[in-house]
Amino acid sequence: MEFRDYYQTLGVKRGASADDIKKVYRRLARKYHPDVSKEPNAEAKFKEVQEAYEVLRDPEKRAAYDQLGPEMKSGQEFRPPPDWASGFEFRGRPQGGRGGPEVDEQFSDFFSSLFGGSGGFSQAGEGRARGGRDHHARVDIDLEEAFRGGARTLELRRPQHNPDGGTDLSTHAVKVTIPAGLTDGQQLRLAGQGEPGHGKGRAGDLYLEVHIRPHDLYHLEGRDVTVTLPLAPWEAALGATVTVPTLGGPVQMRIPEKSRAGQKLRLRGRGLPGDPPGDEYLQLSIALPPADSPKARAFYEQMSRELPFDPRAHFGS
Amino acid sequence: MTTAIRTIETQVLAEGEWLSVTQVCRASQIDVAVVIELAELGLVCPRGTAPQDWQVSARELVRLRTAARLIRDLGVNVSGAALAVELLEARRDLETRLRALERCVQASAAGK
Repeated sequence: MEFRDYYQTLGVKRGASADDIKKVYRRLARKYHPDVSKEPNAEAKFKEVQEAYEVLRDPEKRAAYDQLGPEMKSGQEFRPPPDWASGFEFRGRPQGGRGGPEVDEQFSDFFSSLFGGSGGFSQAGEGRARGGRDHHARVDIDLEEAFRGGARTLELRRPQHNPDGGTDLSTHAVKVTIPAGLTDGQQLRLAGQGEPGHGKGRAGDLYLEVHIRPHDLYHLEGRDVTVTLPLAPWEAALGATVTVPTLGGPVQMRIPEKSRAGQKLRLRGRGLPGDPPGDEYLQLSIALPPADSPKARAFYEQMSRELPFDPRAHFGS
Repeated sequence: MTTAIRTIETQVLAEGEWLSVTQVCRASQIDVAVVIELAELGLVCPRGTAPQDWQVSARELVRLRTAARLIRDLGVNVSGAALAVELLEARRDLETRLRALERCVQASAAGK
């Protein structure tokens, strides 16, 4: 496994004071917090910063980590020394387990090899019944999948006690039914699929937050979808029958005469299924034919001569 | 490593679904006192009389979890978290609308 230089992650010197480390952590946490950050890779960065702070904030962990020596560099091949941390006793997260890491917030193998598990987890009372924690994970699905529903196999990782008293991450696959008509941000609950209970305690639940990926064609709002429908000027002016895409397949639709750009037409019940199902809206836009041939130019010239049209009439004179 | 695939029953927490305050606290890893404070600030609207009997809409669980993360990770206080959650939602809403408008403008400009 690779060594991680926690001082480098936070950008502080090895001798930095606890106060400085806290200040730097606050700044970086604010910068990379996945809920607020617009930085690329915010989530991965935030996890690294959190992991580094988890070690450097705690005097015991920091002292043990410092024993590894200043000659170690990030990325260097690393094995914990045999006498690692003798005389130290780690007790998981100092906050007393408040806010243990979630399924998607596991620390690195490097951290686990030194401090056992991802904090919080390893401090369960011996043999005492305690309910397992709820876990959370995010699932991204395509709009088509939200429309049709279907089965999805998820790979879940979770910490598990090993016989040596430490923790390992085990991977298990579960098949989950995605019901048709899920909306963005909706939650699925998988009872008993969170952290296993300790002793006779019940297992926690796994919550999946469903996110629907942005689609090239459809813009989603709740169960309604909006499609931009470009029309030729004569189609908008005279009316036309055009083929438009819907989630269930293309349909023919009548465009009334005198349609204008920005108007919305509705196809009832053509959005995501549900009770009631969503609608599809077609937002009209007028596409101009390019004047890129003598014939096209002649048409425009004829219009300019023969059509009394002032697009800036509302400016007044 | 186990690779056996098991099929799991899923329960959809639909918009109309309500969770007990105990469930909500467990799922978002916050104290009931924080939920009470967030309810006073109007970030969540539980139903029921006494806080221990409260029920919270499944839709609001996302808000509570975001608030919980901000409080835990950034050290903001409860009203700061409530404000941030509302602003983040407003920002996301605006970004979605902006994307839709940009698409509409592009479609007209490209003449397709």
